[in-house]
Amino acid sequence: MLWYKAWRESRGRFVLSSLTIAVLCAVTVAFEKDAAGAYEQPPTYDAFIWQSVYKSGIRELFLLLAILLGLGGLLRERAHGTAGFTLALPVSRRRLLAARAGVGALEIAGLSLVPALVLPTLSPMFHESYPVSQALQFSLLWTVGGALFFAVGLLASTLFGGEYTAGICSVAVLLAYSLMVDVPGVEAYIGDVHDVMSGSGMPYFQPAMSRLAGPLPWWSLAAILLIAFVLTAIAAQLTKRHDF
Amino acid sequence: MTCPYVIETHDLSKRYGRVDAVKDLSLTVRAEQITGYLGRNGAGKTTSIKMLLGMTHPTAGGGTVLGRDITSLAESCEMRRRVAYVAEDKQLYAYLTVEEMVRFTRSFYSDWRPEVERRLLRQYELPLQRRVSALSKGMRTKLALLLGLARRPELLILDEPSEGLDPVAIEELLQTLVAAAGEGASIFFSSHQIAEVERIADRVCILDRGELVIDLPLDRLRENYRRITLGFAAQPPNDLRMSGVDRIRTSGRQVVLLASRDVETVLERVRGLQPVSVDVEPVSLRELFLETVQEG
Repeated sequence: MLWYKAWRESRGRFVLSSLTIAVLCAVTVAFEKDAAGAYEQPPTYDAFIWQSVYKSGIRELFLLLAILLGLGGLLRERAHGTAGFTLALPVSRRRLLAARAGVGALEIAGLSLVPALVLPTLSPMFHESYPVSQALQFSLLWTVGGALFFAVGLLASTLFGGEYTAGICSVAVLLAYSLMVDVPGVEAYIGDVHDVMSGSGMPYFQPAMSRLAGPLPWWSLAAILLIAFVLTAIAAQLTKRHDF
Repeated sequence: MTCPYVIETHDLSKRYGRVDAVKDLSLTVRAEQITGYLGRNGAGKTTSIKMLLGMTHPTAGGGTVLGRDITSLAESCEMRRRVAYVAEDKQLYAYLTVEEMVRFTRSFYSDWRPEVERRLLRQYELPLQRRVSALSKGMRTKLALLLGLARRPELLILDEPSEGLDPVAIEELLQTLVAAAGEGASIFFSSHQIAEVERIADRVCILDRGELVIDLPLDRLRENYRRITLGFAAQPPNDLRMSGVDRIRTSGRQVVLLASRDVETVLERVRGLQPVSVDVEPVSLRELFLETVQEG
């Protein structure tokens, strides 16, 4: 039932996030011809989709939504007055947080599947096609990248009780990280999760075809998941120590 | 032999910065009794209750609830299986309906009593399909009580349960508590409403500025405590301290003594001071409370 609670608390945000991504993907497909026409050398359909969805705006929005899904938890419950009831239940704080993290991970996976549902489904309606296998591989990359920023939101929620503080801090972390990985010289030391998610400049991506090719970067994905797990574990430790 | 105490604390303290929210609290709450926990706003009642339930970590000291160490996370979790708690603001999950709230809570307790759930739902006239956010405070309190009582708790801890309730709802609440005590539950409740405590409690604890200042059975208050008002023709004696006298208040030529024991001996001694009048009256809990916390 803790999973049910976590789901009920976040389902509004999840549904809204999914709808937003779905509508933006649909608009991208629907107006591809108009948008591509503005280019001197119109890109291929795959390249246009990759540029518009997987490489830029919608990917960044996805990360912001992942942060949004990570917000909440006991400090917010304290502000709403329900922490007393929750903490009087015969369950540990670790289990409460684990349920939130578990539901969040599933929601991130669900959210990352939205483009994989919309793009291949809508493309034929506009006389185009987008391979399901490509979309699903990108979904996997998004799930892992999203999990990291979900964990950032989760950790910020255990640090800051203010209604917007955790969200603002998480977005600041995302922005700072995005700027930092573009600084020449720094990029070599800090992996760029954005690039891992889009394949940009990665050996498993073929720029000429704007498609993923070759084996996915399993070690990088594992490392990102490990960092997300560590952030979640830190959040669990902090939650254990809090006074409510 | 079972332990006679459901709550025992020793030197339990909680400090926030330089402020002692609770200081060296050594409290015992007897099993199968109704214990009222009185104190002014900010006296430390809620903080101490939260420490008992493992929501707030003590700065020093410790204690047990139903024999389980309140500072141990694992034991505290186990203890909460047997304790029902109704928080001060009675907030429950606003996004659930009454039915969903009951189903959610039921899933955590193997000793849930469906027949009690059904009886209380009928008695409290709780609308199953209504969202918790749409319930009045009185209704929320009833729902919180139902969630606590439907699972045969050994100990019921309530923080200001009557706060914000209308007189009818308060009456129903008090009757529910008395009935729960009749079924063998121990009840520990904090309140500002002295009349309520006096009506149903077997024992009273008064907390002032984080410290326990009174802990006694109400029977003893009724039998032993007396207010002795002395009138003097001239300036009263400076030092009236004596065994059995807890508090002394002087106002002009009048002295009011609060005697807690050996009243006859105290009377014998004060008559020796040759007052012009001596009035002896029983002390109500309200008077005792005011004497205690106002002086502090």
